[in-house]
Amino acid sequence: MSGYTEGIIILLCINAIAAMGVSLLTGFTGIFSLGHAAYMALGAYTTAILTVQHGVHWFPAIVCGGIMAVAVAFFIGVPTLKLMGDYYAIASIGLGEAIRLILENWQSVTRGARGYPGIDPYTTLPVAAAFFVVLAIFMFNLINSRFGRACKACRDDHIAAALLGFHTARIRVISLMISAFYCGVAGALLGGFLSFIQPVMFDMLKSTELTAVVVFGGLGSMSGSLLGTAVITLVTELFRPISQYRMLIYGAVLVVIMVLRPEGIMGNREFLSWVKAPFRRRAG
Amino acid sequence: MGEGSFPEAGRMSAFFELTGVTKNFGGVQAVSNMTFSIEKGELAGLMGPNGAGKTTIFNLVTGVYGLDEGRILFKGEDLARLKTYQVTGRGIARTFQNLRLFQRSTVLENVMTAAQHHVPYSFAEGMTHLGRWRSGEKKIREKSMALLERVGLADRAEQAAGTLPYGFQRRLEIARALALDPELLLLDEPAAGMNAEEVALLNVLISEIHHDFSLTILVIEHHMDLVMEICPHIICMNFGAKIAEGTPEEIQNHPEVLKAYLGEEEVE
Amino acid sequence: MATLIQQVINGLSLGSVYALIAVGYSLVYSILLFSNFAHGGFLVIGGYICYGTLRTFGTGIWLSGAIALAGAGFAAVLTERLAYRPIRERTNVTLYLLIASMGMSIVIENIFVIVAGGRFRALPPVIPTTPVNLMGLATTSAFDLLSLVSAVVFLGALQLFLSKTRWGLAIRAAAYDLRTAGLMGVNVNLLISIVFFVAGALAAVGGIFLSVRYTLYPQLGAITIKAFVAAVIGGLGSLPGAVVGSLILGLAEMLTAGFISSQMRDLVVFSMLVITLLVKPTGLFGKSVSEKV
Repeated sequence: MSGYTEGIIILLCINAIAAMGVSLLTGFTGIFSLGHAAYMALGAYTTAILTVQHGVHWFPAIVCGGIMAVAVAFFIGVPTLKLMGDYYAIASIGLGEAIRLILENWQSVTRGARGYPGIDPYTTLPVAAAFFVVLAIFMFNLINSRFGRACKACRDDHIAAALLGFHTARIRVISLMISAFYCGVAGALLGGFLSFIQPVMFDMLKSTELTAVVVFGGLGSMSGSLLGTAVITLVTELFRPISQYRMLIYGAVLVVIMVLRPEGIMGNREFLSWVKAPFRRRAG
Repeated sequence: MGEGSFPEAGRMSAFFELTGVTKNFGGVQAVSNMTFSIEKGELAGLMGPNGAGKTTIFNLVTGVYGLDEGRILFKGEDLARLKTYQVTGRGIARTFQNLRLFQRSTVLENVMTAAQHHVPYSFAEGMTHLGRWRSGEKKIREKSMALLERVGLADRAEQAAGTLPYGFQRRLEIARALALDPELLLLDEPAAGMNAEEVALLNVLISEIHHDFSLTILVIEHHMDLVMEICPHIICMNFGAKIAEGTPEEIQNHPEVLKAYLGEEEVE
Repeated sequence: MATLIQQVINGLSLGSVYALIAVGYSLVYSILLFSNFAHGGFLVIGGYICYGTLRTFGTGIWLSGAIALAGAGFAAVLTERLAYRPIRERTNVTLYLLIASMGMSIVIENIFVIVAGGRFRALPPVIPTTPVNLMGLATTSAFDLLSLVSAVVFLGALQLFLSKTRWGLAIRAAAYDLRTAGLMGVNVNLLISIVFFVAGALAAVGGIFLSVRYTLYPQLGAITIKAFVAAVIGGLGSLPGAVVGSLILGLAEMLTAGFISSQMRDLVVFSMLVITLLVKPTGLFGKSVSEKV
């Protein structure tokens, strides 16, 4: 396998992990966030600082990166998740930008806008794949459990959910914390892949990409989010030579999908249900 | 509890009672000094023309709105101090006038979301699918299917709730509420939008679940035919206040009730 | 003391430019109840058209400005027709509109990246920047005074339009309840087009002033996010709120830059956003939408 192909697969794993986090938050819990790249940044920088400046092994460092993202998510999530809909989206933009600005300006810790180089390339293919597989299993299991139903209830009708006994505020915060963990780990893995991170890599454009991937795959479909990641990542790579047009096409794709098929590729069904469907019809 | 002046003085509080409940919305008095009580096992009706404040009472009971004055006691406990999501835990379930199903989920999932309340397994078990996950999910599914059978929706279990015909959506909401194993069931205009035949079937369903599940039920309706048929105890309100209380015969001939409904779209 | 007055004027000037952008954005929000992230694109379009006509045809600022306003207005209408109307007609999920608007924002910005290149362009000096002495208290530039005055003129014109004309009345009705306005016989699609035209034109004025202040480049639209913050602080959907919020924001930015540090500017902006959302999410004058149970 060539180095280039390997790199693509690693990138796919990283983007897929982040996408699963955002999918849980936006697709399954109905919280539209445009600031999730900030959690990737928190994970990336925490892990970079731990491995480079404190000689911590990459595995605990990555976990710490995820935990840092979770901690920040908790502290800003508890007060802001009371906001519904558009207001939370705008708050998430503000928070995302604020975190990026802090990272850019806190030169002593993060080396500022120029970026943080020299990260040990610990994200090899086995590492990325292993993280992806384990995290994917946990995520698919979760949405197929009482927690998944609880998230969907909060998404579809928060008043009915409350009257079915769901503590909607707590469920939203937990969902945010899990999604932050996934994005934090993805960011940490990205740092170990590129050996270099910069605050501008985690700007609103990246956040939009995370949300777009989930919408593209279908809100409420975890396998759709994975499919969406695959498509967007591969298309982005394919168009890299004409990178000028890449962004234009990417923006146009967002618009076209929303106009033509806003429910995304999968709608809210999972890949497995498509496979099982013909068998079910025959039996019933 | 006072002494002497109130006939109820000195006895144990009823299963479910409102005392002097008042709620204002920016100058409009939606509910004014409502007092009534319901005994365990009763099937009672709350009647009144549109806008009388009936749904507001349900919203006050379930913590959607806060009380301005008065008390709501359920099994002796003051409900006003509870948050909405805690009300279920006390044994109260409700349906909604405007239907609040999870439209995108399947019929079965809607009920399972409620049924899971009494089948706990931990977050870790949910994440790993180990431990009590498998047996828990089986129990939730079986209980939900049983309820769907009860309301006649078992064959539509995998259909998206939003695609059901209207009358079936109402049944689904009832099944979902039953999945919470409530002691008190609040039905908010369950017959809205139904024709005479459907209402008759609904009457049968409500009577049956009242008996089979040993429930206490309070039904809001402004159609007379449902409430008069099946509720031996009726409270009638208008403009936020109680105007009559008693048996169907007493209500039917009550001058205040007739006055309230005059000019209203009557019976059918 | 002189610095204080200077920064206050700077702040009001910047705030007045934000106001032009925020008002258009809030206007769209008040009708369609969604946050049009592509609003920054209209600003950029206005800037480039003005630059283009100035450079290529050598016309004066008045004509170029007028063309830029019209061009941006039409671009806004086109955006609505192509991207938002089809979604609006199919579904009422605002999330889809939000994402489509993000997409349009990226499309517009990158059209200019490709066509005009990423260079920073300075507009020909048609708007004077000569220093002006204010009664011996402080010195400011004619540019600041002009942008303040222009903002007042345009917003005043908008206010007249909304309060004195038939369409203005229709827009105010629609802001209250779009469906009912439609049922009362208002041509909703035409109304929305008019609203977008106005929003685009106002953004263009802001864009022209911003391109003089910061030079013109495709990503200039990113500054719109500050206008969003201003609109939220003032109350989403409220036009006076957008103005007040913008002035507060402009002042806060300039006073921070003048007395604390330039780096903290943006941080202060976003902190104000977060504080507003936590303390009073509906902002100063915003309408709160409550659900019927």
